Amino acid sequence: MAYEPPVTDYDEIVENCTCAFCGCNCDDLDYLVKDGHVVGVRHACRLGASKIMEDMDQRLMVPMIRDETGELQEVDWDTALDKAAELIAGAIRPIFYGWSETSIETMKHGIRLGELVGAVLDNQATICHGPSLQAVQNAGYPIATLGEVKNRADMIVYTGSNPMNSHPRHLGRYSTFPRGWFRQRGRFDRTLITMDPKYSDTAKMSDIWIGFEQNGDYGFYNAIRAALKGKKIDQDYVSGIPKEDIMELAEAMKNVQFGALYFGLGLTHTLSKQRNIDMAIEMLTDLNEYTKWVLTPMRGHFNVNGFNIFMAFEMGFPYGVDFCRGYQRYMNGETNTIDLLTRKECDVFMVIAADPGAHYPGGAVKHLAEIPVIQVDIHWGPSTEIADVVLPGSFVGVEAAGTSYRMDGVPIYMKKAIDKPETCRDDEWIMRELLERVQKIKDQEAAVASK
Amino acid sequence: MTYIEKPVVPKVVKLEEPAAKERKILNMMLNTGSDIYQGACKKRGSTLKDEYRKVCGVAYMDPRDMAKLGVTNWDTVKVTTDWGEVAVSSVHSRDAPHEGTIFIPKGPWANVITSHETYCCCDPTYKGIYCTVEKTDEPVLLMADLMRAVYKKYVDDEETIPELKSLGEMPVYKKK
Ligand code: SF4
Repeated sequence: MAYEPPVTDYDEIVENCTCAFCGCNCDDLDYLVKDGHVVGVRHACRLGASKIMEDMDQRLMVPMIRDETGELQEVDWDTALDKAAELIAGAIRPIFYGWSETSIETMKHGIRLGELVGAVLDNQATICHGPSLQAVQNAGYPIATLGEVKNRADMIVYTGSNPMNSHPRHLGRYSTFPRGWFRQRGRFDRTLITMDPKYSDTAKMSDIWIGFEQNGDYGFYNAIRAALKGKKIDQDYVSGIPKEDIMELAEAMKNVQFGALYFGLGLTHTLSKQRNIDMAIEMLTDLNEYTKWVLTPMRGHFNVNGFNIFMAFEMGFPYGVDFCRGYQRYMNGETNTIDLLTRKECDVFMVIAADPGAHYPGGAVKHLAEIPVIQVDIHWGPSTEIADVVLPGSFVGVEAAGTSYRMDGVPIYMKKAIDKPETCRDDEWIMRELLERVQKIKDQEAAVASK
Repeated sequence: MTYIEKPVVPKVVKLEEPAAKERKILNMMLNTGSDIYQGACKKRGSTLKDEYRKVCGVAYMDPRDMAKLGVTNWDTVKVTTDWGEVAVSSVHSRDAPHEGTIFIPKGPWANVITSHETYCCCDPTYKGIYCTVEKTDEPVLLMADLMRAVYKKYVDDEETIPELKSLGEMPVYKKK
């Protein structure tokens, strides 16, 4: 890469901002601001910096509605909001999907709107860590904060996860490299293990790489559990790993002082889904007979955990909450977005701060092409190509303040650094407006019906 | 421990090498997932740009598989699964060797061929899908064109899609 000189041309520095990208929620960023724009970011990784210094070409600036020719047409806020409210009020089985890249304050209005119209509220967990949440319900949740891991852990395991690509500062800020209270020499006091069929960028810098076979996770954890319980392993190889190595690894994991296991989508996206994680948690239960082990899912978006915690607190269920019967219901494989879409049940789809066009499998997107889609987002993305009403929101953590939850469940208040573009509105404002407008339509309907 | 030796793979495998046998079509396993280039480009918002096609519309392949197929960096291959087919560029994987597996970063291109099957666990199967890979002349489409060609939401006549003008790399909408 070519050398780029440091940015020196800026008006002010806004300190201690929180990164709005991944579940690490790094809260030590400094933004260099010039003329109301962020022109440089200090301390962020490549991912965080690229999101904060966004591509203004594709920033959604004005509300838009599709006209008869199938082209998006700029309209004023009132028209766009009324149109969206009309679609939502008239829907029989609406889904409100997304929420992971906006604030808890926005979700508050979203839940009320969902209850009012009997919608399904779901977030990105449904396509990433949903199985992890199910496994936690099955087998328990031995979690620790990232700070505890930084200060205590002497063995770090990443399994089915590649933080060097998806959470680049996780190793540097929380788990492996920093010096902690009981780990004064930082990296030298810790053993780093990566378990992944792929020789990933994280595996390349680990002390130990365990490249078990594709879909071999389940068998491998079971073999470790057998070794921990002092059982004999009959096969010479389990999931492609020699049995002597499994025994050696189990012994090593038993003899640490504090171990931390982080797992990612490698476990949830393969065939055994939540059973993989069940087994990983059980493995930890076994390890905890000898020493202290904790685990944390590597959550992707900065507030994906927030939605799950907020929903579980408010409604009792973490995601895929269905209000169609007037009370909240949650049923895996039944009230989740992908299943509802492939069964072609949904008739109006609202996406808030998410991109189903970029992340859903084609089979699910095909149904989105048949129904009206309302998009609340900050950038023109694949979902805009299939959206019928577009409402431009604001960038939480940069242009709007809000609360988010880190991957380990620590709430962090993200402050506002610059003003949003004049024609955009806060997500919170948009949700509140939609709620009020839908309420008005419902009240009118009720008045007519009672006559 | 014996299994931690770092694998080495030659940068380019030539077809003359005895281990490589030329084949028209390869049966492979497809994995999708996030990747730092994909993540950075997507979240910056540059999804309409050629840049996004370069980071997401690619299949990371083992050089040995590329040699078998007779493709080099930035040639076009067609990946087919039970759920669809899509043209992407073939590129050398940084994580090789992984003969028999290809990796496509998550994005609209990968979506066309991933499985929506959740097996009642809410999560689609994005990894470990059987696929075939072959050389093709079809172009790798830009994001907007791909969305139009695959989902056809606002096209009246499906036959005309190949002749339609490209939607380009900038947002298209009618200003007030
Ligand atoms: S590691 Fe995550 S939260 Fe931290 S700067 Fe990078 S993208 Fe942002």
